[in-house]
Amino acid sequence: MSFHSLAFLVFFVVVLAAYWSLPMRAQNLLLFAASYVFYGWVHPWFPVLLFATTFIDYWAALGMARAPERRRAWLWLSIVTNFGLLGFYKYFNFFADNVVAAAASVGWSLPEVVVRVALPVGISFYTFQSMSYTIDVYRGHAPARTRFVDMAAFVSFFPHLVAGPIMRATNLLPQFEQERRFSAAAARDATVLMMWGFFKKLVIADNVGVIANKVFALKDPEFFVLWAGVFAFAIQIYADFSAYTDLARGVAKWFGFDLIKNFERPYLATGPADFWRRWNISLSTWFRDYVYIPLGGSREGRGREVGNIMITFLVSGLWHGASWNYLLWGAYHGGLLVVSRLATAVWSPSPATRRWLRPLQVMGMFALTCVGWLIFRETELSQLVRDVQVSPGASTPLGASAGVYLFLLAGLYSVPLWIQDLWVELGGPDLAAAIDEPDAPTSKGRVIAQAGLCGAMMTAILTLRSQTALDFIYFAF
Amino acid sequence: MIGATARGSVLSLVAVLAGILILPTALRAVNRLLLDDTVKPSYLPTVETPRPREPFDDEAAAALREAQPEFVVIGDSMAGTRIDPRHLSRTSGRSVAGLFVAGTPVAYWYLEFKNFVAQNHLTRVRGVIFFFRDDQLTVRRQVATPMFDRVARDEEPELDALLAADRLGTFSGVHRAARALYQFDRTRQWLEPRLNHAPAALAGSDGQPEALLSAINAEIFPLEKLRHYEAADLPQADAASLDFYSQLDGSVLPEIVRLAQRSNIRLAFIRVQRRPMADGPPPQSDELTRYLEELKAYLTERGAYYHDDWGDPATPLSTYADGDHIVPAAKVPYTERFLEKHARIFQ
Repeated sequence: MSFHSLAFLVFFVVVLAAYWSLPMRAQNLLLFAASYVFYGWVHPWFPVLLFATTFIDYWAALGMARAPERRRAWLWLSIVTNFGLLGFYKYFNFFADNVVAAAASVGWSLPEVVVRVALPVGISFYTFQSMSYTIDVYRGHAPARTRFVDMAAFVSFFPHLVAGPIMRATNLLPQFEQERRFSAAAARDATVLMMWGFFKKLVIADNVGVIANKVFALKDPEFFVLWAGVFAFAIQIYADFSAYTDLARGVAKWFGFDLIKNFERPYLATGPADFWRRWNISLSTWFRDYVYIPLGGSREGRGREVGNIMITFLVSGLWHGASWNYLLWGAYHGGLLVVSRLATAVWSPSPATRRWLRPLQVMGMFALTCVGWLIFRETELSQLVRDVQVSPGASTPLGASAGVYLFLLAGLYSVPLWIQDLWVELGGPDLAAAIDEPDAPTSKGRVIAQAGLCGAMMTAILTLRSQTALDFIYFAF
Repeated sequence: MIGATARGSVLSLVAVLAGILILPTALRAVNRLLLDDTVKPSYLPTVETPRPREPFDDEAAAALREAQPEFVVIGDSMAGTRIDPRHLSRTSGRSVAGLFVAGTPVAYWYLEFKNFVAQNHLTRVRGVIFFFRDDQLTVRRQVATPMFDRVARDEEPELDALLAADRLGTFSGVHRAARALYQFDRTRQWLEPRLNHAPAALAGSDGQPEALLSAINAEIFPLEKLRHYEAADLPQADAASLDFYSQLDGSVLPEIVRLAQRSNIRLAFIRVQRRPMADGPPPQSDELTRYLEELKAYLTERGAYYHDDWGDPATPLSTYADGDHIVPAAKVPYTERFLEKHARIFQ
């Protein structure tokens, strides 16, 4: 069930109406049931896996609380089970293919083993979220929960179940354990955020996604066409993923929950470290807290730090999918971060220099990010090698015009996104942050502006939404 | 008792929801200013608001009436690269006409069958042969576009009912009401071309956006420049669309069968082989195999002829061009083999 379907609207209204008429414990039970219906809508057996993950982590955390001396064993049970399920569904075929190929390269012939199962949508997201609970209990950062329904509602909470943001147990679970009250002001701001999410998905992401898909369907795109396609994909993935987050946060807010912001204007980042503070924040911080820091972080010398960064980014790349290009993408971003750290250690510009350098840094980082998106989007390695070798000098005049046209078209659709990001970066109000302060006094002017903006976005959605409906990109991960 | 602040918050929420629902009605006024209000309702009124349509292709219909073929072959470019109607006429001794339009869905073929064949006073026509891929006959993602104009009459109630149920699903009434209230389809008619042409006017050196867009379509994105799996035109069917009986009711296939029975026209269906592997036929899932068995049973029970080209050793990979198309040199040999294998269709 996708957020932008009438089926979801009906589901949302029905669940919401029932939810606010129930006491807190019953609300959690309702959310648990509704989330399983939402997830089962995709495929009837997907909830079975979700339940298995939830139950094992609930049981493992209770085991840690009851037998602290064996808590390491319980943690391993959780990790092995979670990674076992994730590995089987997401990585088995990739692993088997590569073992067969590696064996073939040394003359051994192994039988091909292919497991034909659908990848459960959102498995990477809820597995990481559920594991954060057992790790936090193991570390003593969170108590083990005895109420299974609260835990199950936390893991399966439908607004962010299939594409994040990945919430920590220490943040979201307590929200399930306290009374929630309906706030019309919060609902109003959540509605504005949801409209912005719908607009970004249906008008921006889906329209520029069509451009990217066309370009990446070509065997030998010319230089300007290729990079216009990469630019379109850069816009698509940001608009698409941040739209999902906005919708998730908006829907959750209607139920009285706060989900974290997952994006902070990433294309205005001034460098690799800044980019990862702004892009998919919930995943970056997950890897920072549960992989990079446990590996030693930057505490054990420069060499170890470089190794830890590279390991973290390689794992992060692999998290996105079982394919070499994602691993390469992780290595590329890890490499960028290492180079930038080394450069920062050698040269630190003065505040005055920093000020005039900033626009150049932003443009430079955006260009580097686009190179990364080429690696991310191009799943055929041979094609990727060909793409990075294509020269602008070999372009035909029509190829150059086509590239400029596609670039301008993608740019035109993305204008609202750039305006909003620049506006906020320069200190203006942030549509995505408004729901965090619903109790702030509301002026009539603000309400009129919100109503006008929502009406304008709805008008744009009705008239400009892409004729080609594309799935949310991160559903694939 | 609701306090003043809470009441203010509720009112502000209502104001935002009202903005969402009311502001788009301004599109009606804009449309009135920019569009001709005298256009007739579409032939698919439940899925389209009134728009100027391209004319029905009377010439094509008249040409068929003049030719009075005994057999008509219908399909998209897959059929077009395989069958040479003239050669088939010569070798079979029967008059055969071909209706091949690239990129057309089965709903388009249905309209061709209805308006060019069954209801076009073709007094000698005995059979119609459809060429299709995999689940194409029951694909429910029908797209009604101006492409249909050349084969659609002023009213197409059967197709309209099917498309409405298919495209809009359970909530087709809500979609219809929204379309009627906001008229956003009409706005798209003038807005979309402007939006596409503005960057083209800037990108082209001669300021002729139409020419640049045509050149881009013809020379940058032609079929032969696409990767093989993209050039296949149609993606492989997913498991959900391979549940034959769940797809059948919303598809035009029963309507094609009914029309043929009413018109006393024999039907034949040929499933073309998709691009094979270097060492054999293309892979086929269990779901697709089951789907095809059910399709075959459905058609043959209703008196239609059915054949599946899958695994045909005479069309190896070397005879394929891009995607599922075969090379021009293989067209006549394929046509001859087709007659040889399926001579009973023409008896």
